[in-house]
Amino acid sequence: MRSHRMRRIVLSFIALILLLILLLMMNIYIGSVSLTPGQVADILFRHDMGSTEGRILWTIRLPRLLAAAVLGGALAVSGFLLQTFFANPIAGPFVLGISSGAKLTVALAMIGSLSAGRTLSSAGMIFSAFAGAAASMGVILLLSGRVRSMSVLVICGVMIGYICSAITDFVVTFADDSNIVNLHNWSRGSFSGISWGSVRTMLPVVGIALILAFALSKPMGAYQMGEAYARNLGVNLRRFRVELILLSSILAACVTAYAGPISFLGVAAPHLIKRMFGTVKPLVVIPASFLGGAAFCLLCDLLARTLFAPTELSISTVTAVFGAPVVIVMMLQRRGRREQP
Amino acid sequence: MKNDGSVLLETRGLTAGYEKKIVLQGVELSVRAGEVLALIGPNGAGKSTFIKSIAGQLARSGGTVFLCGKDLRQMTPGERSERMSVLLTGQPAGELVTCREMAAAGRYPYTGRLGILSPEDWEKVDAAMARMGAADLADLPFDGISDGQRQRVLLARALCQEPKVLVLDEPASFLDIRYQLELVAALRSLTEQEDLAVIISLHELDLVRRCADRILCLKDGRADRLGSAAEIFADGYLEQLYDLPAGSLEPAAPAPGKFSHYIRSEGKQLRCGYTTGTCAALAAAGAAARLLMGVWPETVSLRTPKGPVVQVGLEMQEISEDGTAARCGVRKDAGDDVDITAGLLICAEVRRAQEPGILIRGGRGVGRVTRPGLDQPVGEAAINSVPRQMIREALEEVCRTAEHDGGLEVTVFVPGGEEAAEKTFNPKLGIEGGISILGTSGIVEPMSRQALTDTIALELRQHFAEGHRRLILTPGNYGMDYLRGRDADTLGIPVVKCSNFIGEALDEIRALGYEELLLAGHIGKLVKLAGGIMNTHSRQADCRRELFVTYAALAGAGRDTASRLMECATTDACIDVLKEDGLLQPVMDGLRDAILRYVSERAGENCHVEIILFSNVHGTLAESEGVKEVLRR
Repeated sequence: MRSHRMRRIVLSFIALILLLILLLMMNIYIGSVSLTPGQVADILFRHDMGSTEGRILWTIRLPRLLAAAVLGGALAVSGFLLQTFFANPIAGPFVLGISSGAKLTVALAMIGSLSAGRTLSSAGMIFSAFAGAAASMGVILLLSGRVRSMSVLVICGVMIGYICSAITDFVVTFADDSNIVNLHNWSRGSFSGISWGSVRTMLPVVGIALILAFALSKPMGAYQMGEAYARNLGVNLRRFRVELILLSSILAACVTAYAGPISFLGVAAPHLIKRMFGTVKPLVVIPASFLGGAAFCLLCDLLARTLFAPTELSISTVTAVFGAPVVIVMMLQRRGRREQP
Repeated sequence: MKNDGSVLLETRGLTAGYEKKIVLQGVELSVRAGEVLALIGPNGAGKSTFIKSIAGQLARSGGTVFLCGKDLRQMTPGERSERMSVLLTGQPAGELVTCREMAAAGRYPYTGRLGILSPEDWEKVDAAMARMGAADLADLPFDGISDGQRQRVLLARALCQEPKVLVLDEPASFLDIRYQLELVAALRSLTEQEDLAVIISLHELDLVRRCADRILCLKDGRADRLGSAAEIFADGYLEQLYDLPAGSLEPAAPAPGKFSHYIRSEGKQLRCGYTTGTCAALAAAGAAARLLMGVWPETVSLRTPKGPVVQVGLEMQEISEDGTAARCGVRKDAGDDVDITAGLLICAEVRRAQEPGILIRGGRGVGRVTRPGLDQPVGEAAINSVPRQMIREALEEVCRTAEHDGGLEVTVFVPGGEEAAEKTFNPKLGIEGGISILGTSGIVEPMSRQALTDTIALELRQHFAEGHRRLILTPGNYGMDYLRGRDADTLGIPVVKCSNFIGEALDEIRALGYEELLLAGHIGKLVKLAGGIMNTHSRQADCRRELFVTYAALAGAGRDTASRLMECATTDACIDVLKEDGLLQPVMDGLRDAILRYVSERAGENCHVEIILFSNVHGTLAESEGVKEVLRR
């Protein structure tokens, strides 16, 4: 029975990694210009940047798929941290309005720097996104002190998201720079136009945040039993809570800074991972969520790019199609079980 | 591991509250290793606040809590978690968590950075689960089991945290009565075996009484009283604590008083008692309950074969050092009857047996059968078949309740049984070394002398007053059955039972002026009349063998027959000897004539007497000449 559980976890990891590799390859080969495996190998080995195919692969597809994988994984982990924090599986950066908060501040910062004649740096984007994410998170935390019911809190989060989106739309509509076209695309959520520079900045940020989150596995496991038990088991709750909030905000902010708001992935991916692995142990779920989020995001980005090519869908459109039903099913399942206080 | 009784938790002037509202004020308490301290009090008295304060779940506003001698405030969360574990009122959701994983959370303070359990940690988790009776839940999902099962898993979690102080906040709320009792038993055995103190808040006063060494009563945030169960449950205090009208808290199970089953005989109430067999079965049930469920039941009860339920308290409750045997006793109550065994403590020791089934042995003070012809074969303990059946049924009932599949071995013993037995007929019957555990109905119907003779006299007077001048007299039920067999009950002649009081009955018959008397009785009783013994109770005299020998000698028997007769345990055995030697009829006739002579003498010259002697085995043995004529009319 116990070895059965262990075997399920190992097999799930193997399956997840195979799926991820498959999706990475599909993202490399498939697109407006199809590439063959021979071409790809050739381009990669020779560092060919001269040919059209070489440029497509090196400057467009590779950074894009790397960003999709890393940011998708980051978003899933951020979602899992929030779900643990609020002891509710429907919590997530998008649902709680944290992504939208980050989106608003990034939009304001972009317009501000553009009107000053400068472009916003990668670090600047992340920082402003984090500020917005933290602000939204602050509001949610204040509300969670007053609102006992988790569903009401989620509704509040959705409302915060709408308010932030409305302000962002307003700002974007009345900004008159030509770059606004890009901004508009970004604010709907997209991986298009991601550069190697962005990837180089996001990798260490996401990497460090992930390692820190993984290091919180033990107290997270205790916290899943509830505050009182965690305290009894010796968890320093105050510190743990701050760490959890900071990490989830950084991860969500990082995603929003580069790809805009991505809906439902933060809720759907950890949920599917928990079901697949049959456990909620953070030690397993954190790395698995990262891999699962990456795979989920790669699939969605592939569809966003190719489904109605040359028109590109926003990534949120695709994640919503896959993610929202998962969330609905979850809510129905929870309704069937006993209501959380 | 015996605990040293050191103080594990101490509060000094503990004061706590929420948002400036003081809920708890100046509570002083110290709890020692090996102690179960229960916390009771009305809702809002501060029980939960107290629990939360000592568990570090709530910032206190004043006072100090010392955990293992160290100020709680100066402890890191990790240090505290190695010394104290809690079970709180809410249960975690535990989605996709097995029970074993949930329990394993208790090892948190002892695992490394990533919280991975070592094989030794897992062993401790499994041991804790086994101890809480949750071993078979190990691989089940935590959210797929009942509240009671979850509670046991959470208890295992608290236990494998290896605390010095175990704090339980209303742990019984989710449990049904059986698991409540098991919880109490588990706590008791924990504090007996580990260097550990338990602080438990409970609403169930019955459980408090069962498990608590001391009780802290909180009222309006203050310690209202701190004392033993006896002090707290003393008259009227609890009503005061809970602001109830006096007398509204009747004890949950009334302390068993005297067995109050009465038989009515003509306006008189006679209190019945219960047999040694009933006592043995009750004691066995009590000891088995302690052995299998860990708690001494407050009372034990059983339904006697006769019908009435006997409920008694247990005495001499003992548990062996290694915990493998429990023994206790039940005091024999003979009711209004006078009995040598009355007041003896009938005890039973119960231990688990390798073999399934129930093995019954006799210990000190219980006789052993040395001669054939008795209820039990030679060599067996003198525990008759009905009591054996009662013991077996009582133990099977306990096994069912405790879900115990294995066997039990019960040893019945009676302190002072040897001495008491010397005053009974056991030595003569061939039962040596103690009293018999007997009784076919389970209860003793009293045979109070005065009451009985009064009853008989009254009955005789009534029949006489109704105009009857003829009468059939018989000592007991055997005679009634025999007479029915000969249709004597349809003659219109009143039949009166006179028990052993034949002389008294004859006196009354003579005084009233009855004209004709038929006395029918079992040879075992009536043979005594041949020696002029008019009270046939075995306490008065025996002399039965001697009379047999005398009349056998008169019929020509030799020394051999005489000595064989003297060795017989029962009159039926005597009759067998006489039959073998072809002396039965002359002896019976001789006895009949002697009886007739003595009875006629006592009944007076105005009363004509006829006699029938019979035995259950051999039927009619002898009857006087006029009997047939009497019965024909």
